[in-house]
Amino acid sequence: MYGSDGFTIYDIQLWAEGLSVTLSIFLISSFLGLLLGCIVGLVRYYRVPIIGKILMMISEFLKNSPVLVQLFLVYFGVPALIAFDMTPNLAAIITLTGNTTAFIAVIVISSIEAIDFKQLEAARSFALSERLILSKIIFPQSLAIAMPLLVGLAINQLQVTSLISVIGVIDLTRVGDIINQRTFEPFLVWPIIGATYFIMAKSIERIGARLERRFSAYHISNQI
Amino acid sequence: MIEIQNLHKDFGDLKVLKGVDLSIKPGEVVSILGGSGSGKSTMMRCINGLESITKGKIIVDDFDVSKSNDLREVRKRCSTVFQQFDLYPHLRVIDNITLAPIAVLGQSKEEANDKAMELLNSVALGDRASAYPSQLSGGQKQRIGICRALAMNPSYLLLDEVTSSLDPEMTAEVLDILKILSKQGITMISVTHEIEFAREISDRIVFLDEGRILKDLPKDDFFSESGGKSDPRIARFLSKMGNV
Repeated sequence: MYGSDGFTIYDIQLWAEGLSVTLSIFLISSFLGLLLGCIVGLVRYYRVPIIGKILMMISEFLKNSPVLVQLFLVYFGVPALIAFDMTPNLAAIITLTGNTTAFIAVIVISSIEAIDFKQLEAARSFALSERLILSKIIFPQSLAIAMPLLVGLAINQLQVTSLISVIGVIDLTRVGDIINQRTFEPFLVWPIIGATYFIMAKSIERIGARLERRFSAYHISNQI
Repeated sequence: MIEIQNLHKDFGDLKVLKGVDLSIKPGEVVSILGGSGSGKSTMMRCINGLESITKGKIIVDDFDVSKSNDLREVRKRCSTVFQQFDLYPHLRVIDNITLAPIAVLGQSKEEANDKAMELLNSVALGDRASAYPSQLSGGQKQRIGICRALAMNPSYLLLDEVTSSLDPEMTAEVLDILKILSKQGITMISVTHEIEFAREISDRIVFLDEGRILKDLPKDDFFSESGGKSDPRIARFLSKMGNV
């Protein structure tokens, strides 16, 4: 069943390269998205005038339009607008970072708002500064609340990375496509590619569950 | 010394406080009584700056609550115990107590811990230092609330309906602690529905009605037929609260 166009040892290397591209673009855009999303979320939570409104409009656009459209906009649109040599990988990172940022901002705001605000008043009444209240009271609790949402988002964004193959990034999906076109073994190639995503997603889920347990240790109720 | 002068507080069109004048001297134990909606809790929240003041003034030891530079000093002097405890759920009991002393007063961790343990032992909760608030009963939480307030070495202790969320048994355990405290010379301002408790600990009773002080009398005068009870509004309130 393996003709002259069958699998070669080189395919494993190709697979590994695709995996590393997918992983690095995912990790970079997730990290940047987390950072920017926290900033955007805080700007909106503290109702910073004007900037808050502008950021909200941008993130509404990013949440409510297809990632593929955003990807095309960045990859084809930006170079047309400003003479700039856009690479597929950079376009992928920019797009996914922006998209992740928009979702993280929502998670940040909703998990802060889920905290009982009266304890924040209590903290204020003991002369704690807003900065300390943020770092010692808001942050640890909202992290515990946000954890399951962040894990869900991360798993979703991992799958979304497969779209970047369309603009020519040699990611895991593109590698699958390349090997499939050569071998004509879709029922071998795609399950392997799919399983690779599956294992990554499951790993995120497991790490997330562990972190979640650690951050919400204080939720043990009525144990004596 | 806490000086409240002509204090007004509006929430939109609703006028909750309509000109309150009250001064509290160091060492005094003052109870604020009044029906719901009379403005008692709002007045307490104005003292430590949790509510902005619409008109009037509150001065705590020469510091003006409405000046943002002074507010921190006011808050360092006034500690509040809250109706719903409002402990920090993610921190262990000991850290609930030591957070502000370390961060605001600049105490060392050891110093703050020692003081916290001392306070915890005084409310018979020394063995729960490393528990989380969710593991405690309401009465225990409120005793922690008291420890958290006292750990700041406040000049003034503000008690905002501290037993309203507790059942009678837990109420008793909290009130017993406050009774002991009231004899130790700390200035206490207590908004309460516990008339017997107010009668036992207070030097003075202030009765608020519809945003104004109706009576401000020494305890014995307040509960006498010729004093507070001569006012039909107060007589009605006291009889409704089961006190004849």
